[in-house]
Amino acid sequence: MKNQYTLHILLFLFVILFVAGGALKAQDSTATDSVTIEQIRKQMGETQSKEQKTPSPTQQTHSARATSSNLNPDISAITDFRSLYTSRGDRNWDAYLQGVELSLRAAIDPYARANIYPVFEGDQGQLAAKIEEAYLQSLSLPYGLQLKIGKFRQAFGRINIVHQHALPIIELPVASEAFLGEALIDQGASLSWLLPNQAFYQELIVSVTRGPDESPLFAVSDHTVPLKLVHLKNFWALTDNATLELGLSGAMGSNEAQKKSKLGGIDLTYIWKPVRFNTYKSFKWQSEFFFSNTKTASDKKINAWGMYSWMEYQLSRRWFVTGLYSYTEDPNMYDVEEQAASATFGWYATEFQKLEFGPKLYTDNGFSKVTFSGLFRWVFVIGMHGAHQY
Amino acid sequence: MKRLHTFKIFILALGIFVTGLNHSTVAQLKVVTTLPDLASITQYVGGNHVDVFSIAKGYQNPHFVDPKPSYIVKLSRADMFVTVGLDLELGWSPQLLQSSRNSKIQKGNPGYVDVSEGMALLQVPTTTTREEGDIHIYGNPHYWLDPLRGKQIAQNIYNHLVQIDPKNQTDYAKNLKTFDDKVDQKLVEWQQKMAPYQNTEVIAYHNEWVYFEKRFGLHIVDFLEPKPGIPPSPSQLVKIINEVKSRKIPILINSPYFSSSSPDVVARNTNIKIVKISTMTGGYDEIKNYFDLFDYDINKIVSALTDNNSSN
Repeated sequence: MKNQYTLHILLFLFVILFVAGGALKAQDSTATDSVTIEQIRKQMGETQSKEQKTPSPTQQTHSARATSSNLNPDISAITDFRSLYTSRGDRNWDAYLQGVELSLRAAIDPYARANIYPVFEGDQGQLAAKIEEAYLQSLSLPYGLQLKIGKFRQAFGRINIVHQHALPIIELPVASEAFLGEALIDQGASLSWLLPNQAFYQELIVSVTRGPDESPLFAVSDHTVPLKLVHLKNFWALTDNATLELGLSGAMGSNEAQKKSKLGGIDLTYIWKPVRFNTYKSFKWQSEFFFSNTKTASDKKINAWGMYSWMEYQLSRRWFVTGLYSYTEDPNMYDVEEQAASATFGWYATEFQKLEFGPKLYTDNGFSKVTFSGLFRWVFVIGMHGAHQY
Repeated sequence: MKRLHTFKIFILALGIFVTGLNHSTVAQLKVVTTLPDLASITQYVGGNHVDVFSIAKGYQNPHFVDPKPSYIVKLSRADMFVTVGLDLELGWSPQLLQSSRNSKIQKGNPGYVDVSEGMALLQVPTTTTREEGDIHIYGNPHYWLDPLRGKQIAQNIYNHLVQIDPKNQTDYAKNLKTFDDKVDQKLVEWQQKMAPYQNTEVIAYHNEWVYFEKRFGLHIVDFLEPKPGIPPSPSQLVKIINEVKSRKIPILINSPYFSSSSPDVVARNTNIKIVKISTMTGGYDEIKNYFDLFDYDINKIVSALTDNNSSN
């Protein structure tokens, strides 16, 4: 019995020693690093004073200082000017401002950021102001979650989340226009979850929104029928130089006829960009497929599909060429089809200015008559503009 | 008796739990850095207590790193994020940080380390306009290319490591001192090697060597880029060729991520020697750490200048 008590006491001592050992390890003397800090300060001081004594016209010594202007949001303005020639219609040539997009981005507080994009856009140069996106994005939710609240581009596939000025093509593929319009943008909430997958990147996004103002397939319902959307993004870094992304998307909501519309999508993107010379060479192959099922006012069902595929090749630091093909059925009408093919040559003066031009062939129902267009656009950015999605 | 047995099992389980806890507390801190030099310095200061990953490769242009989603996974699990700051990584790191969903490494928290804190900067512009090219509004951000500033970087990393992991402060302080001492010792060696070549005129591709130039006494006369970030134009190359000829400039330094076509044009039309050196750890296979970086660069420059002197 006595032995048993001794054993218990020994076990307790063992536990206490472990805890105390850890605590003791955490203590230290600051004497050594005080000397080190002092030494660095002295040397940095010497460096500074030496450099300040002999400034050259291009080399001055300063320190970065925070000012109240650092609290201002990052502001930029992106202008998209276009010109086109088309073989169809009476007015064959035009030049106009497609749009001006403002971008305001900043942290709200330690918990969230805000992104606001007011735009001026319209038809034939007649611009009207609207808020394209304005949303809050959380920074510190647990379990790999991120919340978006406000008005934002819906996470359907890849092309829908990219602002038009950042695309390597001048006009949208006929398939994405047929199913998403210029973009599927809506107001509500979206929750994204970074899945704890050790093998590759996986993100699941679920959103519930009120129903978009402008969309070929969806509309605001007179009843409580929100637009529900889900997107699963899978991303693999195949090598340092190559990546592959596979996305699956689904959306369901009310349409103009106050009936149900469903939209499914698959996107596949391969990017090759050699790390050492990523500013000189790259290749990107992006494809998306859309499938829809929509009910008309007379309760008839229309099934439609469409696709686009483009390949973008970087010829040199400044030159890019992109070939695009797109085919689509009309998701709201029986037996209406469109297809288009285009080539776009892009010259990037810097990251803040690019010129793009190229031919486009387009045919619609019956594919009997081909329309030829020559497209040109000049995109320029002023201010602080961050990176686009990879 | 049965109660006593249960009690023993409980005590043993507690012991194992505490042992396990102790193991988890000595588990390495996960550190993600933007550049490999910051990774190397973090490894020196953090020693065995850190597991470090650098987003950019040493042979990659640090201004243009693609914000791949796979980096978001790394950042989501990181205890510390180390950045050069001063808008060097503006084009890619903010997006990755925002997508990381990791509050520990967001700006303002101990896990966010901007190593430019307290740094003495060069080339702080008096006016900020993009007419001057891709300028950095806070000053030239390539400061890690001065080993003394490397000590300041190490100090900043140390300051944050001890906030995140105070129980290993003694080890971090010891490692910091070892790093500082090695910089002091190597700096003497590097400066001795460069001593015969003080004020040697040099051409560079991009304006990224000013801290190296100042520390080791070179004199960069001009750049192949007419303005930072603007590719070399034919008129700029003609200007450079004339400068090289008239001033007898012996070497042109180029980084691994810039094309060799423009330097080759200058070399074909003059007697200038192209010296390929690295701005970052890992730029070439031989450069395994921060000290190797200066060993490699200085040896290459000295070798090129020595050859040049002997051939003249």
